[in-house]
Amino acid sequence: MPEFRNINEKEKISAQRFADLILDIGTFLLASGAHCGRLSSNIGRLATTWEFDINMSPTFNGLTVTVKDKNDPSNSVTCYKNSPPHSVHLAILTAVSHMSWKVQEENLPISYVEKEFAKIKAKPNYKDIVVAVAVGFSCGGLCLFSAGDEKNALIAFVAAFIGYLVRVFFARKKFNPMICISIAAFITTLIAGLGRLYGFGEHPEAAMATGVLYLIPGVPLINCVIDLIEGYLPSALNRALFGGFILLCIAAGMTLCITLLGIGNF
Amino acid sequence: MEELTIINIFRDFTIAFLVGFCWAILFGSPKRLLWVAGLLGGMGHALRFILIQLDFGMITATLAGSVLIGLIGIFAAHRVDSPPVVFTMPACITMIPGMFAYKTMLAGIKVTDLPTVEQNPHILIEMSHNLMLTMSLLFTLAIGICIGALLFRKSSVKNISFKDVIGKG
Repeated sequence: MPEFRNINEKEKISAQRFADLILDIGTFLLASGAHCGRLSSNIGRLATTWEFDINMSPTFNGLTVTVKDKNDPSNSVTCYKNSPPHSVHLAILTAVSHMSWKVQEENLPISYVEKEFAKIKAKPNYKDIVVAVAVGFSCGGLCLFSAGDEKNALIAFVAAFIGYLVRVFFARKKFNPMICISIAAFITTLIAGLGRLYGFGEHPEAAMATGVLYLIPGVPLINCVIDLIEGYLPSALNRALFGGFILLCIAAGMTLCITLLGIGNF
Repeated sequence: MEELTIINIFRDFTIAFLVGFCWAILFGSPKRLLWVAGLLGGMGHALRFILIQLDFGMITATLAGSVLIGLIGIFAAHRVDSPPVVFTMPACITMIPGMFAYKTMLAGIKVTDLPTVEQNPHILIEMSHNLMLTMSLLFTLAIGICIGALLFRKSSVKNISFKDVIGKG
């Protein structure tokens, strides 16, 4: 039972309540694309504010923590929680970081964080159509970087735009995420490949190469290296595996499409 | 190789700005930080462009670009009050080695067909070259992003001040 009494004008927080809160925050951060160092610094700020000792072992799809009250060692608990499905949303990182600094600087109570975190969780991401247009523009821009001309960039724009919408469509139907990626890569390559077959633009292979880049698991791959450098080996391994498999799925979708169109054409 | 003129550099900057901005939307960065990602991406990529034209080599140039993004990102983080990853990550993605990854894959598909490889063993060299290039470039991007944690021995960029950079920290 959570027990409330004043010790030095501070409410006593039961270890279970604190552990539940940080597991919630930690797994949500992991799913939004935070690396493990960020996890431990953000949660560490909360822990020092409320005088808890904390040890944690983050992996890619879950978080184990042991919390111990510094003033009362018997108030201690070890818990594990699975993380929600991964979807990159960096705004969460900013919001949680703000919150943890505010708590540390103003010495706020745990009930504030619980309320604030519920708000952060409900934060909406960008609308799919906005993201699709953005994805189109960025793939078009990357196409220009890879020596493509304006026509190739146009092809890359259309291919990425439609590919992203297809991916969202299949993700809504609750297909396996890896299958969604393969299908999206297939559709994107099909559109760009048609541009290649009909000789639209000067360097059609640039459009084919850059059209699928919106599927690249940039966040897991970069986080993997950061985790390696900071010494979070289990999570780095998991991220590398996850990112590598997504790359493989993209390659599988593209390979299927290229083989259908005829490898001799490329 | 393109000519190194102000117009070319500016064109490079503009495209990279667009890519960084749009990639920040894909990664779900907050609205007020989108332009920061774009600016950083533009700066990093423009530096990379200049260095490549000056014949510094692809990997060195990319490393310089991403380190620039990482360092400026630390100071931008103070200014806009947000962790730097939120905008350095989309900014670094502007330099993603898509073309080399694609070439690796294309060569990989060709290798599955024995007569083609026997006829033209050069494909194998091409594949391994592009693979190593892709991996090295990805690694340099990651180094740029966590340069703050690497150089300044502080867990949060909030504690990194200008003094640390000029060596009095």
